[in-house]
Amino acid sequence: MSLLPALCWRSVPIEALVWREWDGEIVVRNERSGSTHLLGPLASQVLKVLAAADRPLSGPEVEDRLAATGSSPGTAVEVAAVLSEFGRLGLAEPAAAA
Amino acid sequence: MIVDDLSRRELAERLSDGGLRLRTGPVVNRIQSRLPSVLDGIALHYADHVVEDRGAFADFHVRIAPPTNARRWIAPQVRFLFDGASPFLPLPANQAFAMLEWGLNWCVSSHCHQFLIVHSASVAKAGQALLLPGHPGSGKSTLCAGLVSRGWRLLSDELTLLELATGRVVPLPRPISLKNASIDAVRRFAPEARLSAVVHDTAKGSVAHMKPPTESVHQAADTAQARWIVFPQYQSAAPARLHPLSRARTFIHLADHAFNYDVHGRKGFELLAQVVSDADCFAFEYGVLREATALFDHLASRA
Repeated sequence: MSLLPALCWRSVPIEALVWREWDGEIVVRNERSGSTHLLGPLASQVLKVLAAADRPLSGPEVEDRLAATGSSPGTAVEVAAVLSEFGRLGLAEPAAAA
Repeated sequence: MIVDDLSRRELAERLSDGGLRLRTGPVVNRIQSRLPSVLDGIALHYADHVVEDRGAFADFHVRIAPPTNARRWIAPQVRFLFDGASPFLPLPANQAFAMLEWGLNWCVSSHCHQFLIVHSASVAKAGQALLLPGHPGSGKSTLCAGLVSRGWRLLSDELTLLELATGRVVPLPRPISLKNASIDAVRRFAPEARLSAVVHDTAKGSVAHMKPPTESVHQAADTAQARWIVFPQYQSAAPARLHPLSRARTFIHLADHAFNYDVHGRKGFELLAQVVSDADCFAFEYGVLREATALFDHLASRA
């Protein structure tokens, strides 16, 4: 058990994201960076959860919300990898827990 | 008036004096050159294209001319000039017409931001467009030449122009650029096609151009709805086969093939999303042109 607080993530403001979804895949444009990204089904669900949240979320919280939406949740490792990738792409950033 | 209405002497006069104002789809090119090979190329490939009046507005002012140094006499070269400046290195003189074609492509892809421009061939049947985006060597021009030889309308061989307001394809029917083995493949497949002499040892290998069909040039003002987006890949002897491609992946590939997606920002995103949403999307392998054209004829017949 880690004594460190879980890393939390928030997406860029939803008004900075434009996306289209087809068959579970999302193409998202980040208005802040001008970049466009293709997201697979899990990443698409994670982005929706983060964008809809009213506070930064930890990985386990993202998993819980994915489960609550009835979508197929990823493993903790998969969700953590998606969040990390979002950080690299500028779609989300680490934030202090609320 | 069209180019074919001009005698060879009249065409030479226009090219060497004030310039030939040649309409290609939505743009007018003012072309100047005293080189016989440029005249021959225009007379063959642009015979059906409209010639605008001498004083008409021109979008692009281009010239194909020899350099003014000693190379004029030893291993002669030609330059492409745009507004009097030379954006490219000179090429051997026997590549003059090819250089004009490549230069005109550059004019459009670098300046016509009233469109979203995709590096793609496009053809149409009954107003429905088939987009064939692809990197050099993918076989898109070969497939394009094969399809127009079987009654599809040529929209463009190289630059597909998407109208920003509607997403419709704006025709830019110009000569089809064929390279290396595709030259003989098209000759065998469509012996009636009018091809220029082959120019060897260009940066793209051996190159020949195919004259656009007269009907396609006549219909250059008729836009078409993007109905199919197909990424071709030629593989020797491969059977013709379509593989469904997700719309999201198609979007990303199309954006990768666009010259000015980033220029248009959010509008470009929304336009591509609309085009992709309204189209069926595939990857496509083929190794025999006859099989490939038959497959697309079948696809169109079911639309």
